[in-house]
Amino acid sequence: MATAYTPGLTVTARTTHRVRRLLPISGDVLVKKGDTVASQDIVAETFMPGDITPVNIANILSLPPGDVAECMLKKEGDPVEAGEPIARTKGIFGLFKNTCTARVGGTLESISSVTGQVMIRGEPEPVSVRAYLSGDVMTVLPDEGVEIETDVSFVQGIFGVGGETYGRIVMACESHEQELTAELIKPVMKECIIVGGARMTGSAIERAREIGASAIVSGGMDDEDLRDFLGYDLGVAITGSEDVGITLIITEGFGDIAMAARTFKLLGSRAGADASVNGATQIRAGVMRPEILIPLTAEGRAKSPKSAPSDGQLVPGRPVRIIRDPYFGVLGTVGALPSEPQVLDSGSKARVLEVKLDSGDSVIIPRANVELIEG
Amino acid sequence: MTTIDPDTVKVILATDCGSTTTKAILIQFVDGQYRQTHRGEAPTSVEEPFADVTIGVINAVTEVAELADRKLVDADGRIIQPAKGNAGCDLYISTSSAGGGLQMLVAGVVRQMTAESAKRAALGAGAIVMDVIASNDERRPHDQIQRIRELRPDMILISGGTDGGTTTHVVQIAELIAPAKPQPRFGSDYRMPIIYAGNAKAASLIEDVFDDTVDLAIVENLRPVLERENLGPARDKIHDVFLEHVMAHAPGYDKLMSWVDAPIMPTPGAVGNILQTIAERQSINAVGVDIGGATTDVFSVFGGTFNRTVSANLGMSYSISNVCAEATMPNILRWVHFDMDERELRNRVKNKMIRPTTIPQTIEALVFEQAVAREALRLAYQQHKEFATTLKGVQQQRTVGDTFSQQTGGQTIVDSMKLDLIVGSGGVLSHAPRMHQTALMLIDAFQPEGITRLAKDSIFMMPHLGVLAQVHPKAAMEVFDRDCLIYLGTCVASVGPAKAGRTSFEYAITGDTLNESGEMCWGDLKLLALGQQETARITLTPARGVDVGGGPGKRVEQTVHGGTVGLVLDARGRPLVLGDAPEVERWVNALDLYPQMAAMV
Amino acid sequence: MKFPMNGWFVALLCGTATAQTPYPPAPPTNLVAVDHGWDAATKIDLSWDLSADDAEQVRSYQVLKAVGRIGDVTIEPDFKPVESVDPGTAEFRVKDLKAQLKRWEVEQEYGDNEAIAALLADGSKSFKIGYVFQVVAMGKDGSRSATQTASPITPTMQIFDGSRFWFSVMTFIFCGAVIAFIYLARSGMPLKIRKIAGLDAVDEAVGRATEMGRSVMFIVGIQDMNDIQTIAGINILARVARTAAEYDAKIEVPTSRALVMATARETVQSAFLKAGRPEAYNEDLIYYVTDEQFGFVAYLQGMMVREKPAACFYMGSFFAESLILAETGNSIGAIQIAGTAQPAQLPFFVAACDYTLIGEEFFAASAYLTGSPEELGSLKGQDVGKLVVAAILIAGVLMSTMAAILGPDQGIGKSLVDAVKYLKDVILT
Repeated sequence: MATAYTPGLTVTARTTHRVRRLLPISGDVLVKKGDTVASQDIVAETFMPGDITPVNIANILSLPPGDVAECMLKKEGDPVEAGEPIARTKGIFGLFKNTCTARVGGTLESISSVTGQVMIRGEPEPVSVRAYLSGDVMTVLPDEGVEIETDVSFVQGIFGVGGETYGRIVMACESHEQELTAELIKPVMKECIIVGGARMTGSAIERAREIGASAIVSGGMDDEDLRDFLGYDLGVAITGSEDVGITLIITEGFGDIAMAARTFKLLGSRAGADASVNGATQIRAGVMRPEILIPLTAEGRAKSPKSAPSDGQLVPGRPVRIIRDPYFGVLGTVGALPSEPQVLDSGSKARVLEVKLDSGDSVIIPRANVELIEG
Repeated sequence: MTTIDPDTVKVILATDCGSTTTKAILIQFVDGQYRQTHRGEAPTSVEEPFADVTIGVINAVTEVAELADRKLVDADGRIIQPAKGNAGCDLYISTSSAGGGLQMLVAGVVRQMTAESAKRAALGAGAIVMDVIASNDERRPHDQIQRIRELRPDMILISGGTDGGTTTHVVQIAELIAPAKPQPRFGSDYRMPIIYAGNAKAASLIEDVFDDTVDLAIVENLRPVLERENLGPARDKIHDVFLEHVMAHAPGYDKLMSWVDAPIMPTPGAVGNILQTIAERQSINAVGVDIGGATTDVFSVFGGTFNRTVSANLGMSYSISNVCAEATMPNILRWVHFDMDERELRNRVKNKMIRPTTIPQTIEALVFEQAVAREALRLAYQQHKEFATTLKGVQQQRTVGDTFSQQTGGQTIVDSMKLDLIVGSGGVLSHAPRMHQTALMLIDAFQPEGITRLAKDSIFMMPHLGVLAQVHPKAAMEVFDRDCLIYLGTCVASVGPAKAGRTSFEYAITGDTLNESGEMCWGDLKLLALGQQETARITLTPARGVDVGGGPGKRVEQTVHGGTVGLVLDARGRPLVLGDAPEVERWVNALDLYPQMAAMV
Repeated sequence: MKFPMNGWFVALLCGTATAQTPYPPAPPTNLVAVDHGWDAATKIDLSWDLSADDAEQVRSYQVLKAVGRIGDVTIEPDFKPVESVDPGTAEFRVKDLKAQLKRWEVEQEYGDNEAIAALLADGSKSFKIGYVFQVVAMGKDGSRSATQTASPITPTMQIFDGSRFWFSVMTFIFCGAVIAFIYLARSGMPLKIRKIAGLDAVDEAVGRATEMGRSVMFIVGIQDMNDIQTIAGINILARVARTAAEYDAKIEVPTSRALVMATARETVQSAFLKAGRPEAYNEDLIYYVTDEQFGFVAYLQGMMVREKPAACFYMGSFFAESLILAETGNSIGAIQIAGTAQPAQLPFFVAACDYTLIGEEFFAASAYLTGSPEELGSLKGQDVGKLVVAAILIAGVLMSTMAAILGPDQGIGKSLVDAVKYLKDVILT
């Protein structure tokens, strides 16, 4: 390999972003190709089959399972209501009959003569999918969902918790190196996306949740604060489905670390704009990073030129971030790229690169320990 | 696939399509024996934008071809078969764990009995078991159905009941699965494969329960009587279904399947296969471990019984944070012989989790990472021990002599004293800067007792050889012996009532290069140089009540093999109780684990 | 013939009489009566100086007691002998005394006495007794020495009974251990109990029955509910029934007593309720067979052979039927778990069953199963008590053995004998 490939996080003022919005099972798509949708519009909906509740008639009525079918008052496919009798024993000379009532409502799906169980399926539950991103419907996947596209300012975080949410961008910190503390969070930030600078403190998270903010974006956070916030120690970085009331996104990593100046500047320039945010992170094959999408208005489109998509290659002069101690979080540019592997302090042999730091020094770092700042 | 004449096979090509990289190796018949000669790798191409696994395979094979200076791929992008002169290969085989491997849901009647046997069958076939549904898993039927609906397995294995045993329980389980209508992971156009391997008498009832939205296959009961497991048919069926359904729907696999000369196997299944073959041929008890970024696989063969476990959330990058949560920080830090700030470390661990590809640059980071590896391996081995047990629910034969020593069924069959070989593989073990570090990580985590050989898989070749062993055992064995394993050495460890300062055992070693004798006190760790291919005769005289493999207080005389590390004498006691940092440092220095650190001080 | 005989006899008698001069021995002196400390006002200690003729003439000393005063009224003492002690003894403890009399007792016994009558008429409530004692030196020839009377003395009561000192020590050790262990268990300290394989195997046995589609049979012995073993068996039944409910297995409990049947039904029903499967409970499977020992056994045997339960539990009091049941169960291939405190039946169960709970284990089962700190703690505490008793027993045996070897009459041997006596009479009573 002549050039080295390394993954990076995208931070760009303008890019065309496309999202695919799919139903979990097939259903109805409510929009047409070419429609313009707002982020919270419902674009597709369907009904999930209801929950199944087994009822063991043989046990309840003390019958051999084979006799259950004869005692049923309802047939397969009949609707039943909660509390309605569904089976009754023959009794002795027509007396002493025992009745079994349905505990839940729904449809009687099956009757088994082996186990004496009947299955009641509950009412179907409606499931709907929102547009998430304000933009144009580009493709309609019949019965499945849609693809929506628009030009956005796009910031990828490194890690987040909490799912999709929406709000206006507000800047709580004045510089990218300022810590986000509870005092900086004001009640007017309700339903907003709060942008901090460096580490978000535990009390700031708590405060933001109290005032009802939608999300916090900041440079870093402490592992302990995350644990206190979630109530458990996160084992693997697969998030997005937790119900925590607020979405958190960090852009750099864990610990005391400032947000990259560029990211902070970009978010600052879009303060006041409506954005869609998703904290879902999945660090596995098929990696998923948290994202902040800020759709551009027509004039914004005119102002910011489109940046070329990155090829992910390490070439001298490109900005990189060092992502492992002892220089964790330090930014610089790519210097020399020696092709021969070198022995590290740890004794391992690995391919390295020289990183020229903003301070003017340069350090030798394994290539695996840097990431490109893209955009 | 054609039948293979082992004698004519001179060039063998094998690939393993992992979730991130595809590795290819070339095995050639050189000077009357099979040797692994070249290797190459390329990124796996299952996901977008390529969506064709063969692209990655061809890339990896091309790299091998360039290195070997042999034409292996023709102009159409096909592997050339058979070998003619300086082109092509006689045998092409492959394994796969791309796309997350084979994910299964298993079900049985009693969790500790048929459900466990079903789990064993699935794990043995190389699957990842997503969940186990059983009558007594303490979930309400409603919750079980909910769970089945959430999961998207590749296939489902149902067992339950001995032959002629319970039918109601088995049918009840089928009745839970049928209305839940589980959705397969790949595509909506294929029917969920369900394998039934339970009570033969209930088979027809099971057929009635499922409609034609699933693809039901019925095989022999995997627990015909409680006293015996019959996992073979179920395991074979899982392999068939894996090929027919799962592989056929993964991008590019139809093409790959037409190329290979032996069925494609799930990678862990192949590893298990080779380990089993080795243990059988050399009649030894062996443990193999593969520690990855997300999961740790442990394989063991004890007395001919094979077991495999996957510790899904014990790994060195994606799951490193989970290792720290499960093992707890103090347990990890006990292996570190200098001070570290806990808050800082916690943040570092999380940073490794979110940026899993980074490597330790400083020696401190390496020591910490290896400490985490010890705990991950220890926990995985512990889980393995709990799973690898004798069968439960078996009638016991007693005499009056058993009055005070009654033992229940389901005792672990993993016996560290009877263990002969430990094979380690996976980044943190294979790529440790010094082999000594690998050796001590294995000893600390597995705590072998008596005399145990240590080895590491040089380039993770075991999957390839696992498939090869099925079609050409001779070639597989030869390559395994010569090229696959790097022997690190032998560990001699004593078990007994440890008292600091007291003698644990005395040793006398005679050999060509090593002639030494002395005594080991409790708490001592010593390394003696004994090179690769070298052997020596060791005589161990344990103190009273101490066991070095022959029983308490019994003398042991045996031949030991050397390796890149040598002979490690371990009198630290079992189970290993860690003292303070200076003691750990003494051990670290005994094996000269981190020479650059000693130099710094 | 008659006379000469008599004459000879009389002459002989006279001869002996004249040989020893009949005079009484010197009396003991300085008789002192002191109240015994740490008692319930029942004892008074007497001590005296030996008679001057103690060695030659005294056959024994006789201790006599009398009531010398009631309240403030002095009464003419009417001495009654209490005990005779050997010569050379200069002290004696008088027991079973009273500090006070009840009014009716005074009326009955001393009503005739005028002064007492006056006291009674006064309405006085205090009738303290003042005892007076005599010690008489009895001569070898039957003569009695002059007596010594001490002034009247009343025994007094203290808060603690000194003779119960060791008892209180033991109580503190035993109860303290129980309380300490309960406290420790509550504070989270893991208390290790020896693994009882038989109880761990309950899951296995019930699981086997489930997989094989057969029933679980549970026998709670052949005694009624008043037998502690039956109660222990019912405790275990609760656990087995709960497991059976969780596994959805059939559990059958034939009983030989009606009361046991009722208890078993309640137990099983609540176990099913706890397992969340109340609808699966079927009370017809818990039934009464017969009180007749062998009628019951014959029924069980027949049922086992016909229905082939896959798991059999025998938990309770068993007699001759133990081996019959266990052998039948073995022959039908069931996992069998037995538990009894009948020592004679244990070997049969051990040999024929898969698992056996032996004596104490059987009673410890409920603590083992629930794992509640209270039960675990008391189990552990009892163990400490047993340990202490065992240690004392061993010490006593060793000391007795040593004494026998060294000779119990003198030196160390004698002190050992005394020590054993102290152990036996004081510490362990």
